[in-house]
Amino acid sequence: MDKILRINMGADGGPEIRTEPVGDYAGMGGRGLTSAIVSKEVPPLCHPLGEDNKLVIAPGILSGSTAAMSGRISVGCKSPLTGGIKEANAGGQPCQMLARLGYAAIVLEGKPKENNLYKVSINKDGVDIKPDNSLCMLGNYDLVDKMKAEYGEKVHCISIGQAGEMKLAGASIAFTDMEQRPTRHAGRGGVGAVMGAKGVKVIVVDDADCKMREPADPEKFKAANKEFVAGLRKHAISGEGLPAFGTNVMTNIINEAGAYPTKNFQLGQFDGCEKISGETQAELENARGGEGSATHGCHRGCVIRCSGTFYDKDGNYVTKQPEYETVWAHGGNCGIDDLDAIAQIDRLDDDYGLDTIEMGATVAVAMEAGIAEFGDAEAAINLVKEVGKGSHLGRILGSGAAVTGKVMGVERVPVVKGQAMPAYDPRGIQGIGVTYATTPMGADHTAGYAVASNVAGVGGKTDALSPEGQAELSRNLQIATAAIDATGMCLFIAFPILDQPETFQALIDVINGFSGASLTADDVTELGKSILKNERGFNAAAGFTNKDDRLPDYFKKEKLPPHDITFQVSDEDLDQVHNY
Amino acid sequence: MKNQYALKLNLIVAPNWIHVFFSLLRQGFMVETLVGCSIKTMLGEALGLDDNFVEDRIKTIFLDAKPVDDISTANIKDGSVLALSGAMPGLAGATLRRGGRLASFRGSISFRSDGKNALSQDGRVLVKLFNLLVKDLGPALLNKGILIRKKQLEDILGRQPESFWTSLAGADLNGRKIRLDDWSETILPEMIVVSVKPKN
Repeated sequence: MDKILRINMGADGGPEIRTEPVGDYAGMGGRGLTSAIVSKEVPPLCHPLGEDNKLVIAPGILSGSTAAMSGRISVGCKSPLTGGIKEANAGGQPCQMLARLGYAAIVLEGKPKENNLYKVSINKDGVDIKPDNSLCMLGNYDLVDKMKAEYGEKVHCISIGQAGEMKLAGASIAFTDMEQRPTRHAGRGGVGAVMGAKGVKVIVVDDADCKMREPADPEKFKAANKEFVAGLRKHAISGEGLPAFGTNVMTNIINEAGAYPTKNFQLGQFDGCEKISGETQAELENARGGEGSATHGCHRGCVIRCSGTFYDKDGNYVTKQPEYETVWAHGGNCGIDDLDAIAQIDRLDDDYGLDTIEMGATVAVAMEAGIAEFGDAEAAINLVKEVGKGSHLGRILGSGAAVTGKVMGVERVPVVKGQAMPAYDPRGIQGIGVTYATTPMGADHTAGYAVASNVAGVGGKTDALSPEGQAELSRNLQIATAAIDATGMCLFIAFPILDQPETFQALIDVINGFSGASLTADDVTELGKSILKNERGFNAAAGFTNKDDRLPDYFKKEKLPPHDITFQVSDEDLDQVHNY
Repeated sequence: MKNQYALKLNLIVAPNWIHVFFSLLRQGFMVETLVGCSIKTMLGEALGLDDNFVEDRIKTIFLDAKPVDDISTANIKDGSVLALSGAMPGLAGATLRRGGRLASFRGSISFRSDGKNALSQDGRVLVKLFNLLVKDLGPALLNKGILIRKKQLEDILGRQPESFWTSLAGADLNGRKIRLDDWSETILPEMIVVSVKPKN
């Protein structure tokens, strides 16, 4: 990964392709690289859909190697949803393929002068870009089929659906999975709208005749990777719980804790949760059978395999196994307890290219506005279809919960920095509320996710039960998560690392064995800090202040049943999170 | 478990249909037990779980919807709801884990002992089992029999396909064989012990 592919979509005479050495960005990957390029090269005050914004797609530093779990790819830009810096990441196959082709990043720059839609193809022989307006307003599924027919059965795609073309702020970017289906999405923050603004419909990647990336110290790397995999497999979460039930295993637990946002964050428990729980979902998938039904990876090299494949009652493929966040967003948050309906909406989201969290939150806001009844699955499906059609209502919904709430006069709109909250009510789990409020990304459950504070060397020293302690813990988790996001590793490696110091050491050894470096836990901390500083700096220059690091006011006033509790962390404590 | 109920429904099903009844364990089943004791004591005495299993496998516990950290000091009361789970993923999973490093993140809803000695007496506790614990404990608990509401049973049986009924190898109420095709006509009490055994 020694080169960066830049495509200037606004060049005179049509798109201009440049391949250049990584230069100052050497050694960076994933979120570290996307945030470095955006913060250095994108004017913070530019319009997210304008010519000065850049869309950066970057594999992690371990991607393209045989390191387990290293197939996550980061997408960065100035977000049309939040107005701040954005990193969204995804699984799928293109990550490993781009890395094997030697690209540390693809950067889409400028803005097309004509109203053409382009397709980009990348293989070992180079890069090609062509206008192809026959692709206009195709869904991701039809688009990928068309690309397979044109470029061959082994290619993989990075693409946008109708939502991205319409430049809607809820639009995602799809990455094809192992079965070449467009099911893995960089969902958050409207990154698909930026790709649409660049006029790029699809990037077709072919790594034929490319080899795995070679480690600097093959023996050390191989031994460490073996130890790392063993650690993942022996842990109860990564070795048992996630493979058996997927991420949706959280439904019953969060519901039991009274922190399951229900009917647009009005309640903390959902009566129908058992019908849509991960256990029920896995039992249904196993009963229906089919290839990769209840246990499946989102990319090659995944050891945990927390995903699956959802078939209908007649055995027809519907979508990948909807994740916890999706099942919640389109399920409990909308009062819907029908897994088949939720899977159908997930398929629509993937096809149109929409963030499932944002769309679920948006539909719930629309339900609160009286557009549909909570629990009406058919109405929810039809609302999402409005987005695909590009109707006036659909364009509002596709612009996210904040816009929809404003248009429809709803006060209870669960967003931070314009981005919808995920599936944990911050009144129930207040520490997560601290992260929602203070991450540069907008409300994001994965921003403060990874790695135990003690083993990562970023441990807190204050009283953990105090608000100050929560702020410090949130800060340290955000730092550690940013570092993990730079490696291309899946965040689910966090649990074995949390509990098994030898697995954490194995991860460090994998990185060192691959890169030839001698990183320590302190270096990992510094990497995470530097990423967050880049991101915070960009947001500050874009006009964000500490007033943006807040939850909506109603979380401090409306008590959440069953615990009847409000969000209690003070603004002063929130302001201490990034005090480093 | 005491479960002193007169009526017990015994079902014998093909092994691949046992999972149908796992939902009952997640919804919750009633345990008649001595209350006023700690969760730790109750798990050992009423459910017969040994300490090592509790320590290694039951990583997340809720008592009346409150995450529990210390099972030795959290006392069960009559009418309590006790939910048991393995270790869970995600920041939220780590946060809810008992005694976890991130427990402060949910400090406002954590279970706190009132410090009073609870009265030891007979009582009822609704026990819910989730995720890995259903796999670990479910077959044995179902084999022995669990006390549930009639409505729970009717809901489960009411949504089974024809293939379930044709695979059902036996059904009796307290030893009296019942016909499967007139199941819905059978008059059941509000609470019933249901035992589900795999067909050999």
